Amino acid sequence: MRCDDLDDVIEALAEGDTLSAEYHAHVAGCSRCQARLAMARAVDRLLATREAPVPPAAFTFRVMERVGRAEWRAEQLVDVGFNVAVAAGIALVVAGVVGLAWSLGWLTVERPTLEAVGAAIEPWVSSTLARGPTVVLAALLLTSALGLWWWVEGEASL
Amino acid sequence: MAQEMTSTSEHELVARCREGDEQAFRELVERYKGLVFALVARSIADRARAEEVAQDVFLKVHRGLPYFRGEARLSTWIYRIVVNVLAAERRPMKTEPLEGSGDGPPREFGVADRAFEDLALRNRMEKAIARLPVHYQVLINGHYLKGLRYEDLAEALDLPMGTVKTHLHRAKRQLRHLLETEFR
Repeated sequence: MRCDDLDDVIEALAEGDTLSAEYHAHVAGCSRCQARLAMARAVDRLLATREAPVPPAAFTFRVMERVGRAEWRAEQLVDVGFNVAVAAGIALVVAGVVGLAWSLGWLTVERPTLEAVGAAIEPWVSSTLARGPTVVLAALLLTSALGLWWWVEGEASL
Repeated sequence: MAQEMTSTSEHELVARCREGDEQAFRELVERYKGLVFALVARSIADRARAEEVAQDVFLKVHRGLPYFRGEARLSTWIYRIVVNVLAAERRPMKTEPLEGSGDGPPREFGVADRAFEDLALRNRMEKAIARLPVHYQVLINGHYLKGLRYEDLAEALDLPMGTVKTHLHRAKRQLRHLLETEFR
């Protein structure tokens, strides 16, 4: 028997498992394997006597605080979703009512009125279109900033 | 009988937590914080980070409770979460092949001054444990903590009982090899 053969069972020997007499005979005559066995026993003993780290006194309080924040954030998300859904619902109802009134002829808009509105918003529309790239860039920056703020807020609350 | 009582109260506790009972979740944290913190703090040397990670475990427990079906023991389920969180936390490290690397003669472990030897070995051992793969690390940390049975480990790691013992021996062998070579 070679030392390498014994290497696989050193831990079992250290735990006191009963193995074939061959193994025991080898250990009895091999100083290298005796040292390995001594090391395995020492490791086992030290592992068994390691002190378990104790959590800090305020641990539970801090966990509960984080749980509370996470719950608050989840509720906020639900609230935002609910509000958006309500706003979308109202917009749909209003659009439906206006469309119905229009189709039934209860609501009419005179051509001069439409022209007047068109003339009023035309300068704003054309100047906005002229500054198109700037507006798009500003909108992107604003969206990114809002997204970043939302993400940071979320990380901080967890 | 004691086991029955434990699981009954565990079921009640989980049910109360699911109903949103804050006091029940506080009880759950109180009951398992020792186990969770010990497992985490044994794997993460930075105590502040260890506390944060242990808190993360309980946040995951809180989020996951509605989906906990009660097929496994609560401690087993929590242990599994700890393993996952630790695996995600641990950054990949450069490791050298360990198996069969102990070619040189192992260091003699004298008995002249056992207390000093123990202290030195303990220090080396902690460093060596940190170098083990997460799977072996939590197996050793879990096995030598009171309250975790072979069955719990087997369930948490999704391994048969016999395999857990084999893996534990392999983990300790790697640990010994590290102590005989890199952490001499």
